[in-house]
Amino acid sequence: MPGIEGMKVEDAPARTKLRVLFVEDDPADVDLASCALQRSGIDPEYDVADSAESFTAHVQKSTYDVVLADYNLPSWNGMATVEILQREGLDIPVVLVSGALGETRAVECIKQGAADYVLKDHLLRLPDAIRRAVREKKLREDHRRLLEDLARSNRDLEQFAYVASHDLQEPLRMVAAYTQLLAERYQGKLDENADKYIHYAVDGATRMQRLVQDLLAFSRVGRRAAERRKVDCSVVLATALQNLQTAIEESGARIEHGDLPTVTAEGAELMQLFQNLVGNAIKFRGSDPPRIRVTAEKAGREWIFSVADNGLGIAPEHAEMIFVIFKRLHTRSEYPGNGIGLSICKKIVEQQGGRIWVESVPGQGATFRFSLPTKIRDAERNVS
Amino acid sequence: MTVGPEVLLVDDSAADLDLTREGLRRSRQPFQVSVVMDGADAISFLRKQGKHAQAPEPDLIVLDLNLPRKDGREVLSELKKDLRLNRIPVVIFTTSQANSDVNQSYAQGANCYVTKPGNFPEYAAAVQSMADFWLSLAILPRKEMQ
Repeated sequence: MPGIEGMKVEDAPARTKLRVLFVEDDPADVDLASCALQRSGIDPEYDVADSAESFTAHVQKSTYDVVLADYNLPSWNGMATVEILQREGLDIPVVLVSGALGETRAVECIKQGAADYVLKDHLLRLPDAIRRAVREKKLREDHRRLLEDLARSNRDLEQFAYVASHDLQEPLRMVAAYTQLLAERYQGKLDENADKYIHYAVDGATRMQRLVQDLLAFSRVGRRAAERRKVDCSVVLATALQNLQTAIEESGARIEHGDLPTVTAEGAELMQLFQNLVGNAIKFRGSDPPRIRVTAEKAGREWIFSVADNGLGIAPEHAEMIFVIFKRLHTRSEYPGNGIGLSICKKIVEQQGGRIWVESVPGQGATFRFSLPTKIRDAERNVS
Repeated sequence: MTVGPEVLLVDDSAADLDLTREGLRRSRQPFQVSVVMDGADAISFLRKQGKHAQAPEPDLIVLDLNLPRKDGREVLSELKKDLRLNRIPVVIFTTSQANSDVNQSYAQGANCYVTKPGNFPEYAAAVQSMADFWLSLAILPRKEMQ
């Protein structure tokens, strides 16, 4: 096998080209570092900056894979490069190259954002330090890109659901209205089959309208995040119970609640959340009249709300599934509904930075719990 | 010559116009219906311009908001600024349920705002009660003798 003299082919490392920006006032030090890199298979294409001004000019003009900065320069400090890069919004790893740095200071530099540090009398370690810093930067970039892609695809999907459900309403209204008009005008004037077919069409169109409306309600959750303000949960619950009055009276439900806190939320969504949970507790009742208790307690930085009932309960294997959109555990004839209520609850809670879950023993009722942060997140507070 | 009040329907959907006519038919009052299918045409009709030179002056305008050529919102604002037309009651009849549309319409002088119901029985009932109220119960502005 032909090979380079004295070296087996498979040992020859693939050569890597790297764009390097040296922050250094001593050309001899640049040469030394550059040699150390070449010996380990890195061909640096480099520029040298000897002041904060020339460093800024270089990073604004060109792109670099890594910055190798001397920590002890007479006019400025190598760590200033980290600040400049952050200010410029550039993610270029900085490896500090210095004489004795001292452990405390070295740790401090890494904390402030330097990728690594290498002692000048230990330059053998430099290539590996650079390779690692470059690899980590690539991982960071991949990670960021993935997150951006995910966020964008989520936004697109939400927008799609919103536009689709919104724009489907119009043509659907036509189908529903005209099948109903047909039913009204030609009922009993055609044959039996015609009556049945028209009934199927009316029923299908009506159900689809309901679905599309629910989907629209689902995709609207969180679109009014700007309208969050302090709301008193006992007032919100009272409104929800008012909306449920017919169901409460018909079922003979008894609903009590403990002290409920004031939270920062979008009031209409919070109302929907209580209404859906209490409404479900009434709907999925057992043979006894529903007894429902709404409470809240503080746990660390969260409020944990509970809506406990004495209804049918939910088998543990269904505890997660019930929050998925359009999932139903019962046939439509047993319990009406589209399986969208709890998914709306989940979306409302998660939009406000909380979680929702259920605890239940089948036959002994269910307790739905959700958490809401006691304080809005810092980022949001700064905006307001 | 004509029997009963004049109603002008402004809507770009032929299907909705048929539903509205169906609802009007169920009303007890006799009346005349004219139809225009875009906003610009509505303005020409009301101002008796061009092909509408012989157009009757409506007693009630039923106006959709989303219209081609000239939006229903513009039509409303234009005719409420017109000293000759601003007395004619305008019923906004649209699918939009947006608060902004409701509030803006009233602010611009709409006399009533009704959303088109999603099913036929309710749609017909809405049109019927609209006609019963505006064409029978309410006293409409008196037209000058021509």
